[in-house]
Amino acid sequence: MPSKVSKERALLVVIPLLILHLALLSLQIEGPSGTLLFKTWTLAVQAPVISFSSGIARAVRRVWSNYVWMVGARSENQQLQETVRRLSLLNSSYEQERQENARLRRLLSMTDSASYKTVGARVVARTPSFLSNVIYIDRGSKDGVRIDEPVISGDGIVGRTILVSRYQSQVQLLTNPDASVGVMLERTRTPGVLRGSGDFLLDLNYIGNSEQVENGDLVLSSGLDGIFPKGLGIGKVVDSRKGKGVFRSIKVQPFMDFMRIEEVSIILKSM
Amino acid sequence: MKYVFLALSSCLAIIAQMIAGRNFFLFNFLDLSIILVAYWAIYRSRMQALFVGSLAGLLLDAAMGWPIGYNGFGKTLAAFAIGQCWKRFNTADQLWVRFAIIATSSCLNSLSIYILFWLMQRSASRIFLGASILQALITAAVGVLIFAGLENYKRTQAHKAH
Repeated sequence: MPSKVSKERALLVVIPLLILHLALLSLQIEGPSGTLLFKTWTLAVQAPVISFSSGIARAVRRVWSNYVWMVGARSENQQLQETVRRLSLLNSSYEQERQENARLRRLLSMTDSASYKTVGARVVARTPSFLSNVIYIDRGSKDGVRIDEPVISGDGIVGRTILVSRYQSQVQLLTNPDASVGVMLERTRTPGVLRGSGDFLLDLNYIGNSEQVENGDLVLSSGLDGIFPKGLGIGKVVDSRKGKGVFRSIKVQPFMDFMRIEEVSIILKSM
Repeated sequence: MKYVFLALSSCLAIIAQMIAGRNFFLFNFLDLSIILVAYWAIYRSRMQALFVGSLAGLLLDAAMGWPIGYNGFGKTLAAFAIGQCWKRFNTADQLWVRFAIIATSSCLNSLSIYILFWLMQRSASRIFLGASILQALITAAVGVLIFAGLENYKRTQAHKAH
């Protein structure tokens, strides 16, 4: 009979060896989505940890905001009720306009952008490095999410999925220096490319010096990049000046507050 | 020096397997590296057998042009199984126990490779499993014969010395 100690010693050797071989394999093999299995597996391993810690943080925040941070709740409630009344009136007028818009769209045989199939997701983590500008959401391939699908929120485009595991996905934010979106200016319909700069502001490139661009001009997705649907709001121009070369130097302030994203929607292309 | 010998023996087993398999079809059903691993586990150290298995597997993967790791994983697992079973069961006079241990370890090696193929989303032919059983039986039979011959030789040498 082998002694217990020698069996444990053998296990101490065999387990790291087996893990080493698995790691070697996963570093060489790509999954069907073209992502290295190593990356997918890493995401899958860290997913429960992230979900668990995110759940605890949410619970603590809920306790704090529901039971501790109640100073001024009564007056805030009255203000909010007043706001709700005002917004209800506003909403009914918008509803009329939306119906009219829908009728006109049907007349022009255009596709209604609201017909996209979406799935809601909660942000469970974000990478600690400011430069990486990546968040993790609690939806994955199980929910139909695939790589390169647009992620949006009520304020506009958030980014796109870059890595998908079964239960979680990684989203590259628009502010990421590697991110870019095909856009157009709402007023002049001039197309350009919006790039993340790692900063809070985005760079709008390839707009000629001869174009009229003013501060406050709305920037919408053009749909030309093949990822984001046309017409989604992104931000507004906050700085526009003539560049040294052919193109203007334009800074865009996104509508989205990328530091405070909590819930997002993913537009499912596969549906 | 010991580890150089470990590496060399693994290399030689793989090269021998490749050369023999190319010239004699039946050698394709003999897994020399499993016999080598068994030898280290039985007559030397079980820890060293793990490293031999691991290294032989890596070399085999490299030789076969597979992604590195499939055979390394399987052979390490087989080395562990042989090392644990050999001391647990009485193998001194019961050849069929030896046969069963080597055959089972060889099957474990093939099964783990098959499962890894499935996990890595690669298609593995069912014929692989059938051929693996045949390989396990042949490897075990040859292994048992080699070890019996080796022990017989050692006994004769010891008898002569006395």
